[in-house]
Amino acid sequence: MGRCEPARLRVPCGVHIRQPRPGVAVLVLALCGSVACGAPSDDGTPTTAAAVAAAPWADVVARARGTTVIWRMWRGDPAINRYVDGWVAPRMRSLYGVEVRAVEGQSAELVNALVTEREAGGARAGTTSLMWINGETFAQMRSERLLSGPWADRLPNAATIDRQSPIISRDFEQPTDGFESPWGMVQFALIYDPARTPAPPHSIPALAAWIRAHPGRFTHDQQFTGMTFLKTLMYGLTGGVERFQGGFTDHRYRTGREHLFAWLASVRPSFWRQGTTYPPDVAAMHRLFANREIDFTMSNNQNEVVTKVRQGILPAGSRAVLLDEGTIANAHYVGIPFNAPNPAGAMVLANFLLSPEAQVEKQRGDVWGDGTVLDPALLPAPWPARFAAAVADAAALPHDELARKARPEVHPDYHARLLDDWRHSIRQNAP
Amino acid sequence: MRRALPAMLLITPVAIGAAYSAAAAVGLAGPGARGFTLRPTLAVLSAPATWRSVAWTVAVGSVATAIAVALACCAARWLLRRASWQRLAVLPMAVPHVAAALAALLLVSQSGLLSRLVYAAGLTQEPAGFPALVYDAAGVGLVFAFVWKEFPYLVLTAIAVLATGTNELEEVARTLGATPRQAFWRVTWPSLWRGMAPAVLATFAYLVGQYEMPALLAPSDPLALSLLTYERSVDPVLARRAEAHVLGLLALVLTAAVVLAHARWSYGGEEGRS
Repeated sequence: MGRCEPARLRVPCGVHIRQPRPGVAVLVLALCGSVACGAPSDDGTPTTAAAVAAAPWADVVARARGTTVIWRMWRGDPAINRYVDGWVAPRMRSLYGVEVRAVEGQSAELVNALVTEREAGGARAGTTSLMWINGETFAQMRSERLLSGPWADRLPNAATIDRQSPIISRDFEQPTDGFESPWGMVQFALIYDPARTPAPPHSIPALAAWIRAHPGRFTHDQQFTGMTFLKTLMYGLTGGVERFQGGFTDHRYRTGREHLFAWLASVRPSFWRQGTTYPPDVAAMHRLFANREIDFTMSNNQNEVVTKVRQGILPAGSRAVLLDEGTIANAHYVGIPFNAPNPAGAMVLANFLLSPEAQVEKQRGDVWGDGTVLDPALLPAPWPARFAAAVADAAALPHDELARKARPEVHPDYHARLLDDWRHSIRQNAP
Repeated sequence: MRRALPAMLLITPVAIGAAYSAAAAVGLAGPGARGFTLRPTLAVLSAPATWRSVAWTVAVGSVATAIAVALACCAARWLLRRASWQRLAVLPMAVPHVAAALAALLLVSQSGLLSRLVYAAGLTQEPAGFPALVYDAAGVGLVFAFVWKEFPYLVLTAIAVLATGTNELEEVARTLGATPRQAFWRVTWPSLWRGMAPAVLATFAYLVGQYEMPALLAPSDPLALSLLTYERSVDPVLARRAEAHVLGLLALVLTAAVVLAHARWSYGGEEGRS
């Protein structure tokens, strides 16, 4: 599964590996590298994104025409794939003559792939021109110098980005510095079925009471969504996200962890399977929820309840609920790797993703339901109305409630430490 | 020399991968590499979680292999002269591991078909009363899926071994007065085992490294070795990703040890005979 398949070998070889066993990945990479599949740049001379960005925009567009952009992204959601392959790609072709090829590459794995590419052949070995990244991956890529830039502020459509939003301008408290361009914003929400849970809890104490009153009906997954849930609780139980802002400090983290772990200790015996095991990922959560093994699932995207109900993955009538203490919102971005063979094409694509057309389409409940990063007020009519109408669905949460309860991400070290401590102290430590 | 070439072709890619992993394990390559260090190696080898993971993975792999071998041997004797049934028996081979794991979820989870049948038959009070067979610490669902998936490969091997005359030998033994039990344990089993040992080892080594099925069916504690390795390979702390390479090499050592033990055992057997 996912090794260098012949059909995929045509394009770049090494980077397509998403084989989760690094030994194998490395081995295949080494093989691919030895058969010399260096990235052919469009005109033979690889240019960095920063250099391309310095040119007038018309030159960037001209340079991009007739090229292909390999865009590595999470390909796990058919709705997102349809938006990218069926809506974005044809428009990029007809408007700019740019071929968009979206391929699998989860951001945490991209760091490994890029480092290996650099080790294999320096700047010539690149295959990917654009990557879907955020948060911890952005921090890792900056610290490993895997990103090219700055370029993002040079995009014409960047002018209408919602600069007031603290969630967009800073990615896990890190300034983006033009090294990544935002393209969507989401907010964490719990998902429940009103037929089973007519009165869902709206606060952390109410959630604890609900869990104790319904043993075995609540859990969270072991990955990003589950950790976002735990971070949301940690903020709420420790007096708000403000207590964690302004960089990482060990003392603040320990205080937050104490509150969180005490809360977990008090409810864990009433978790699904008494908290002895946790679902592997959010897809498993949805499955357990749809099969009525648990009564809540969760998502990092407040509109997932809309799209997944339409896809038939979640039961009809499912609804989302935000906790009064606030839930974590974060933006996601696209970045250009240091060895991108086609930075011009990547920038034209990033700019198109920021166009009101692309943003409003993406936000539609029957498409993806991904929140916009633009400020509709900065756009001419009829765009503000179109954005307002994009998620017209009974299950969609009202915009003002979302905005009121949105809490930003904090320094990525909080995430890393919490993940590690949760694995050691809770997951590995059956009650 | 000519004989060494295929062996070299087989070993070189593994050696390159292992060499890179070794370099990455000691901080000389890969993300977060900051020069030579033994910290990742020591961290992995001193963590109780590693050994719990190894023990659980080896146990689940061994049990699944043993059950699959036993079933394959029994089935092979019956299937030997039933060609159309053979085709049915090897059907699971065509099913990808991910699909097989999903099928297992549908079948044996607490909201699965089996649970609903048992509930409909009035044997449980509610579907959740069905025993937890997936994400369970005993790995029952995983063993079930492993056995189902590896059975065809082993049954084909067993049929091939029996077809090379083992079955006739057993019949000869019977005509010479051996009881069925004696004929099986004294004649058929030794030659079956000798013929199947490489396939059995391959199955065990494969199951120890299997990722997709544990990802869908295994518990979060203890963590299967492949899942632990993957977790480390995407750790938010880049410096800890080296631990994934240590774990990968540990799995390599583990399976290589089993293969070497078998080589020595069968080589010793040859010597003993001559």
